[in-house]
Amino acid sequence: MQYNVTVIGSGPGGYVAAIRCAQLGFKTTIIEKYDTLGGTCLNVGCIPSKAMLDSSEHFHNAAHTFKEHGIDISAPKANLGQMIRRKGDVVKQTCDGIAFLMKKNKIDVHTGMGSFVDKNTIKVTGKDGKEKTITTEKVIIATGSKPTPLPFAQFDKKRIISSTEALELNEIPKHLIVIGGGVIGMELGSVYARIGSKVTVVEFLDSLIPTMDGTMGKELLKISKKLGMEVYLGHMVTSLENKGKEVALKAEDKSGKTLELKADYCLVSIGRRPYADGLGLDKVGIETVKGQIPVDDHLKTKVDNIYAIGDVVRGAMLAHKAEEEGVMVAEQLAGQKPHINYLLIPGVVYTWPEVASVGYTEEQLKQAGRAYKVGNFPYKALGRARASMDTDGLVKILADKNTDEILGAHIIGARAADMIAAGVTAMEFRASAEDVSRMSHAHPTYMEAFKEACLAATANRPIHL
Amino acid sequence: MTIQVKVPTVGESISEVTIANWTKKDGDVVQMDEVIAELESDKATFELTAPKTGVLRIKKQQGETVPIGELICEIEESAGSAVPASKTESKVAPGAAPAAAPKATGAVKEMKVPAVGESITEVTISTWLKKDGDFVKLDDIIAEVESDKATFELPAEANGILRIVAQKKQTLPIGGLICKIEVMDGVPATSPAASTSAPAITAAASTDKSYAAGHPSPAAAKTLDEKDVAASQVSGTGVGGRITKEDAVKAQAGSPVKPEAAKATVPSGPPVIAGGGGRNKRAEKMTSLRKTIARRLVSVKNETAMLTTFNEVDMKPVMELRSKYKDKFKEKYGVGLGFMSFFTKAVCIALKEWPAVNAQLNGDEIIYHDYCDVSIAVSTPRGLVVPVIRNAESLTFDQVENEVIRLATKGRDGKLSIDEMQGGTFSITNGGVFGSMLSTPILNPPQSAILGMHNIVERAVVKDGQVVVRPIMYLALSYDHRIVDGRESVSFLVRVKELLEDPGRLILGV
Repeated sequence: MQYNVTVIGSGPGGYVAAIRCAQLGFKTTIIEKYDTLGGTCLNVGCIPSKAMLDSSEHFHNAAHTFKEHGIDISAPKANLGQMIRRKGDVVKQTCDGIAFLMKKNKIDVHTGMGSFVDKNTIKVTGKDGKEKTITTEKVIIATGSKPTPLPFAQFDKKRIISSTEALELNEIPKHLIVIGGGVIGMELGSVYARIGSKVTVVEFLDSLIPTMDGTMGKELLKISKKLGMEVYLGHMVTSLENKGKEVALKAEDKSGKTLELKADYCLVSIGRRPYADGLGLDKVGIETVKGQIPVDDHLKTKVDNIYAIGDVVRGAMLAHKAEEEGVMVAEQLAGQKPHINYLLIPGVVYTWPEVASVGYTEEQLKQAGRAYKVGNFPYKALGRARASMDTDGLVKILADKNTDEILGAHIIGARAADMIAAGVTAMEFRASAEDVSRMSHAHPTYMEAFKEACLAATANRPIHL
Repeated sequence: MTIQVKVPTVGESISEVTIANWTKKDGDVVQMDEVIAELESDKATFELTAPKTGVLRIKKQQGETVPIGELICEIEESAGSAVPASKTESKVAPGAAPAAAPKATGAVKEMKVPAVGESITEVTISTWLKKDGDFVKLDDIIAEVESDKATFELPAEANGILRIVAQKKQTLPIGGLICKIEVMDGVPATSPAASTSAPAITAAASTDKSYAAGHPSPAAAKTLDEKDVAASQVSGTGVGGRITKEDAVKAQAGSPVKPEAAKATVPSGPPVIAGGGGRNKRAEKMTSLRKTIARRLVSVKNETAMLTTFNEVDMKPVMELRSKYKDKFKEKYGVGLGFMSFFTKAVCIALKEWPAVNAQLNGDEIIYHDYCDVSIAVSTPRGLVVPVIRNAESLTFDQVENEVIRLATKGRDGKLSIDEMQGGTFSITNGGVFGSMLSTPILNPPQSAILGMHNIVERAVVKDGQVVVRPIMYLALSYDHRIVDGRESVSFLVRVKELLEDPGRLILGV
């Protein structure tokens, strides 16, 4: 079989690249080793975790806020099995949607493990061991990433689990330890906290979601504690053992004081590693660096016709970053010159409330010695937030002190993930905080907090504070 | 169903038209017989109407030249308009209503291009003096508009908030919509504080050069890169000088030579690199004025029987007279005594004697003028303009000098009115100020002759059998041989020479 473009991996980077290639007139194929398309994001990542998050949030509301809203029900019970079944349906629908899109765009799907024979030949080995050979002009590697295990405690997938297993548990843990207070740990930790687990987060650094603006971590800490989560910051895990019916964890804080914890499950979410195993990179002379496939600014590897995108290359491990890269490579192959502004790829944490940010953090601006202004606006002061009882959180806008240009937007609060798009748009057009302040925002909406924070950043003149 | 709209046959001998203006946008719903575009042929501007009701899909862009019969746009008949006419009409109302709504309130004043003179069919917005969203007062000058003849100022027709419709550099036909003014409620005097303070803040927010000037939008950045155009070469029309997608697309359209040039230089790359020097090209849109100049000059060459006769003038007598009286002249009249007055007066006398030179063709008739309206060519940054000294034959020297200065100054400032440039019967151009020794001027139609002045150079000439040094100026008279015969043109020029070489004759008229 002869193709213009072969994409290896069907996650959001891979399938988007394939669709864009097909749109641009390339004869395109996509290789996926699992039975369903969509990669981590659709199968065991973004989509299923959001399904669980929303289910757990509904449960939480039924148990805690309905009464206040004037809805009297008898104490609700969390049915984890049903939650997981529903999640499974959502995943299936979404994956089927990708299969449909492949068909619609006339993209051949080859199921099996893809590996290089040479730079224009790829062998696809099916589960049954049958092999097919594809010849191709260009290759886009989009093999993604896998959860990183602790060096001293591999995933046993029973008690010591990764995010994948955390989405498929048979029971609600009585006590769940989460190692790593980053995006995945906080998202899944909060799911189980809401449906009744005791959740303890152990984080090595001094802040939750440490890559984001410090204010976000602080707010999330407050909100997590309110939810009943236990958080240990600045603790290094020294040992973790599966004792059969429970796990035992030891950690040390900076002063050397030991913390001992016991729980029935431990979610290890200390990050993800790029995944290029079994790809046969040696056949084409590509060597990974810290697991990543090195690429240039055009996402080209050292081999002329081979590109790589998404989690397997440098940059944030985000589905939407991979998608942009997929589009960029496809358009480049068609002779276009697309751009990606990596600074303006938003980061999102799907806790409830959500956390979202784009641009520079305050810490980065401080470090760079930039003169900046800060505008904060709390959800508490927002009519819409009070009406729906989602008063936790704030919008924080960072703007250049001299030009008023927005340099960063950070939101923690209801619908932050959707709202951050406004920050991206404003920053792509290099809007000033006053520009946004002078745009009409519908009332009553959560977005008014964004405008108010811009007013606060412009000249400290929010209306509703 | 999609209706293809092709360029209609608009008259014999017209083979192509230029799209002057799309009055509807791509994707707009247009009603049958509604004007969707203005097309310009070399003869006239006419309107293109929609043959059906539906959604407009533009295929040829504004400024493109399209041969007769070629596809210009498509109209996708919407599902609703496929039903019988009566229903279509009922659909018209809601479709038209939103557009008409602001007008219906009576609170929006639409400002259209005024008729600025006969023969002027279009104008270009040269500058907006007020910004979109500014509060403007009745009669405030809000924009400068340029026609092929003159620049004029556009006063606001109402008090209110300015909403700019036609952007800078855009060319509009007479009657085209320039801007809208959202008329402020009540008497302006009652709410000036409120209405002016708000715009003041707006103005402060978007003053001068923004830090974001020249920043391309994401789509613009991609387009510019693909066209190999640096953002710094594009002037952004977006807020604060940002480069919009449209700017980027136009930057590409405006410099069609670029891709070709790039391709051409690639194979011969090394020598170019070795040369080291920059090889930038720059494409600028012609102004209306420039376009008119270009069109007219070519048509003069094509449509007249133009030729030039030469002579030389010994300028010594004029120069002596001038140096003798220039101080007294200045003292008395407050204006310097230049050569223009001598030439103008000499020309007027000669024109009286050789009326064909002062005449012009009008169809089968020859129009003779009993007066001399002398056009003088003035070079301005915008191009050549030719204001007219009226009844020059009856003016005194100082009046001529004053008039020359007044018109030249106005010309340079771009303030000449069309009236001041129309109706000359004869022209004088002075290439001498730039150092020209000799030239063959081009007629200023519909005039039949033009006198070219040149620099004054000391030359060895023979006088009374002796070689002497004299300040000499060569004169050139270009004329339309269709109505001016050689005898007349040559005699005219000889007469001018005689009058200048013996200025006393200017007074006596002999």
